[in-house]
Amino acid sequence: MQVPLRPETDTGSGVTSAHHRARAMIEIDRVSKRFETSGRKSHLALSDIALTIDDGAFVSILGPSGCGKSTLLYIVGGFVAPSEGIARMKGAAITGPGPDRGPVFQEFALFPWKTVLGNVMYGLRQQGVKRGEAETQSLRLIEMVGLKGFEHFYPKELSGGMKQRVAIARTLAYRPSVLLMDEPFGALDAHTRTRLQNDLLNIWERDRKTVLFVTHSVEEAVFLSDKVVVMTRAPGRIKEIVSIDLPRPRVRAELLLDSRYQKYVVDIERMIDDGRDDAEHS
Amino acid sequence: MTFARRIISKLSPFLACLGLLAVWQLAALWLDTESFPTAWHALRTVPQVLGDPEQLLNILDSIRRMAIGFSLAVAISIPLGLAMGRSARVAAFFNPLLMMIYPVPKAALMPIIMLWLGVGDASKTLVIFLGVSLPVIYHAFQGARAVEEKMLWSGAAMGLNGLQRMVRIVLPAALPEILTGCRTGLVLALITMVTSEMIARQSGAGNILFNAMDMAQYDTVFAMIIIIGALGIVLDAAFDKLRWRLVKWAEPHQEILLGAS
Repeated sequence: MQVPLRPETDTGSGVTSAHHRARAMIEIDRVSKRFETSGRKSHLALSDIALTIDDGAFVSILGPSGCGKSTLLYIVGGFVAPSEGIARMKGAAITGPGPDRGPVFQEFALFPWKTVLGNVMYGLRQQGVKRGEAETQSLRLIEMVGLKGFEHFYPKELSGGMKQRVAIARTLAYRPSVLLMDEPFGALDAHTRTRLQNDLLNIWERDRKTVLFVTHSVEEAVFLSDKVVVMTRAPGRIKEIVSIDLPRPRVRAELLLDSRYQKYVVDIERMIDDGRDDAEHS
Repeated sequence: MTFARRIISKLSPFLACLGLLAVWQLAALWLDTESFPTAWHALRTVPQVLGDPEQLLNILDSIRRMAIGFSLAVAISIPLGLAMGRSARVAAFFNPLLMMIYPVPKAALMPIIMLWLGVGDASKTLVIFLGVSLPVIYHAFQGARAVEEKMLWSGAAMGLNGLQRMVRIVLPAALPEILTGCRTGLVLALITMVTSEMIARQSGAGNILFNAMDMAQYDTVFAMIIIIGALGIVLDAAFDKLRWRLVKWAEPHQEILLGAS
């Protein structure tokens, strides 16, 4: 069998290419997304995005609102099809949603007719796990996200932060290889947000799942990520990819005083400001 | 304090009924005409009507038709409404049809239906079916349309296919809205039941009512109004209890806590 010289452009056989890209979990290969709007006009949301996300990496996509960062996440999730290009998961083209990629949305999107336990169990039951076993695993997860004692509450009875904890547990339950987080803490107050960021990092440290995390908060992106993908506004392009070289496990109080952290935040904020100037002048 | 308040809130419907009967009684005594019997007279006639096996069978016939018409309507309208709510194509196909049927009083169709299906059970059940269908379709449609896209995506990521998402996400998410439609449908079923029987006089509660009217048996007329009214109140209350059990997750949370305690 001939080994392809440039495996990154090989769209075919998943086996050989997967072998060559053992560490690549997700590849976004020259993806564009155009939305048809009223009449003959159309809106280019994403333009020519190329990005590789390594297995076990925590990658944030950062950009102003309307830069298509959520759209990019939805394409990886298989919820939205790209207009051009292709996204791959472990070498295989993404054609639709699947339990290997678990989404967590800003809107929580819990099932309101199910209790906390019912929500967390849902994915496991769908995959044929027996009730007793699904319940045991779910109770463990509910405890891990700090909601022990709330198993039989309905989403309506929970605060925003608690709902998002349930949503995270519900997604972790069916063990996706990749977590797709769409501004998950965007609807929460500052205090809750900080606590959930800390808890998310603690959970992530345990099994180091691949995480793709969309946010418009520079601090959040730098605090959490191995890599920050900075995007520009309409059409969404990648402006720069910044590797965050800060030690883990990260402690918020220490990082805030760390000059390297501060420099990352300031540098990235400048990049975003530049982007906005470009858009305004053109 | 709260105990007393709870007793008052439980008793208030009965107090309202008693008040209404008292006003009726006084008005009838004051007017003193033959066509307006007193509440006491009318109430005393209720056991007579229900005690007559023929009348009772008539009333049970009505209830049977209503149950069949209502059940068929719900069984067909819920899937149709949900499909319309989730698919623009299905909605575009059925909407003009429903828009045409919607403003027509269903009892006005009764003559044509009688022409086709006769004066028996089939026509009356069909009219009830039509009366119930529209509100249920409408509310199922609205409920399905309001289902959060992200909720469906979450289900899709767990591996639910299109049909499973419809049955296991759209249906429960739209259930509060659907049950609101069913409750309206239930009252409409009672109304169309009586009107259909007064047009096609052959059997049923409406038939007894209007025969009594023709024969100037005003006690029976008012007794039937009480019976039909009571049937409506009982059905509505029973349905609301069922609705509460099914969708308590959608109600404000202090009520859930109350229910659990």
